[in-house]
Amino acid sequence: MLLGQTIINGLMIGGVYALIAVGLTIIFGVMKIVNFAQGEFLMVGMYVTWLLYKAIGGSPYLLIPPVIVIMFIFGLLLYKIVVKPVVGKGDTAYILLTVGLSIFLQNVVQLIWGANYFSIETTIKTEAIQMGDVSIQLPRLIAFIGAIILVGGLHLFLKKTDIGKAMRATAENSQVASLLGINPSRSFAIAFAIGVVMAGMAGVLLTPMFYVYPRVGQLFGLTAFVVVVLGGLGNITGALFGGLIIGLVEAFTASYVALDLAPVGTFVVFLLVLLLKPEGIFGGGVRKT
Amino acid sequence: MTDFKELIKKQKYSVFIVILFLLFPLISPSDYITHVMVLIFLFAAMATAWNVIGGYGAQVSWCHATFFAIGAYTSFLLFLRFNISPIISIFAAMIMSFILAMIVGYPSFRLRGVYFSLATIAFAEIVKTLLLYFTDFTGGANGLMLPYKGASLMSLQFKTEIPYYYISFVVLALLIFVTWKFEKSKLGYFLKAIKEDEDAAESLGIKAYKVKLTAFALSAVMISIVGPIYAFNISYIDPIGIGHLDLSIKIGTIAIIGGVATLWGPLLGAIIIIPLSEITNALLGSTRGGASTAIYGLILILVIIFKPEGLISLFDKFKGRKKDKKLKVR
Repeated sequence: MLLGQTIINGLMIGGVYALIAVGLTIIFGVMKIVNFAQGEFLMVGMYVTWLLYKAIGGSPYLLIPPVIVIMFIFGLLLYKIVVKPVVGKGDTAYILLTVGLSIFLQNVVQLIWGANYFSIETTIKTEAIQMGDVSIQLPRLIAFIGAIILVGGLHLFLKKTDIGKAMRATAENSQVASLLGINPSRSFAIAFAIGVVMAGMAGVLLTPMFYVYPRVGQLFGLTAFVVVVLGGLGNITGALFGGLIIGLVEAFTASYVALDLAPVGTFVVFLLVLLLKPEGIFGGGVRKT
Repeated sequence: MTDFKELIKKQKYSVFIVILFLLFPLISPSDYITHVMVLIFLFAAMATAWNVIGGYGAQVSWCHATFFAIGAYTSFLLFLRFNISPIISIFAAMIMSFILAMIVGYPSFRLRGVYFSLATIAFAEIVKTLLLYFTDFTGGANGLMLPYKGASLMSLQFKTEIPYYYISFVVLALLIFVTWKFEKSKLGYFLKAIKEDEDAAESLGIKAYKVKLTAFALSAVMISIVGPIYAFNISYIDPIGIGHLDLSIKIGTIAIIGGVATLWGPLLGAIIIIPLSEITNALLGSTRGGASTAIYGLILILVIIFKPEGLISLFDKFKGRKKDKKLKVR
């Protein structure tokens, strides 16, 4: 019974990890930068959801379209104002810039709404589906399904549409792509904005289950790093399976070792992956020295 | 000793500033101002340590607060349980940090790019979670309090801030001196070469991985010296306060704002950031505590975009112009 419940818990949260990680991995894949502010984009998505819910009400899941639009514009603006000036200046500049951005966002939110914990009140919160001994909370199931749909949708977008193909070409080799008439800066902007939207979507899906507060994104953001490295940096399918695996690792640590030590399980796995299989389980672009 | 003479000759202004700093407690208006100076020295010392790997090596570490916390916890626990003087336990802290730095650096430096930064975050989270979890040993989230046992150098407890002022000053001076030696050492030159062009450096036979690992371990050992001093000064430690990612970011930010890969940049950064956060905290109170952090986040973004070499470069330009004039006269 505990085993079944643990697996379900792990998979459900793993889907959300996959969604956050996919946002991170598409930004990395196209722009070759690791975005250290991904967790904060998730936090912003949660605040936007919370604010819209307060203003409009209804079901939080109906807020998905407006949040997509808001987060996309937010992503484009961030790219134009903050990220674009350092394009081509190397890893260190990106790391420091996005870390600066993350603490800035975190603390601006804290400045406006304080360090308080907010939540939205919906009936869906407490509903659950019972299957034998195992119960699945409805918000978790919706988050899992929503995450899988979004990841699949993004995958199709990259494979089938012209913009998606242009982005993949930029990811492959941005110089050659620009010779072929693809504007790399446009691909970068769209990739970054999509990454932000993915984090925002995770925010919508998480808001019915978690409190909204300035630091909520931190642990999710860190977990997403582990997921992308496990799945191979830049690899979308890898991020999906990586998310599910990390969800399971966390759930098993919480069930069988200690609830409070769940993050330790995740990060130990991360260090082991770096040691044993740094290109990730599903491959990606890593150079060994 | 010749090294020292050369240092004094080259850094005339710095010697003047040092003398000014030494006399400061005599004119300090209050214990609070002296305490702010202590914080400036300690944060400058931490940023100096960070600078060794983060600045000279451009390998961004986000776990320096963890080595700082290891220093603080080691000295606290040894003092509280076995009454061992922090002056002795500092060495235990240094050894601990060295070993742990090796464990983190070993898997991550074999890879290039951001893997090191990610590994440092993972390590920091592990240590923080363990410190919170083993409540019996570490006090958990409540942290550890240090009872006042009377003023003495061996227990690093004093009635006023002034002894701390000189101790932290000496620690800062020591770490800057170590950095200066490091800058001129083979290791320092190798690290700079790797930062410029890793492939070229490796083709010349430099083992990039070994050099980075050594520099990281040195940097970790350096910051673990500051931990006990800080902990005994404020006589209270907890995992969130001193082992958190936010503190690591603050340390890095100080070095970057001042100027990475420069000897005096971290001190300049601390002189700017520490009073700034003291002022914003005083003005806005703890309820809106985000203010000071938001400001240094913003400064970090602005510095990276507009002045990646840090604010110390403003002084370099001034110096450079003077040199040009001299040449023209000749």
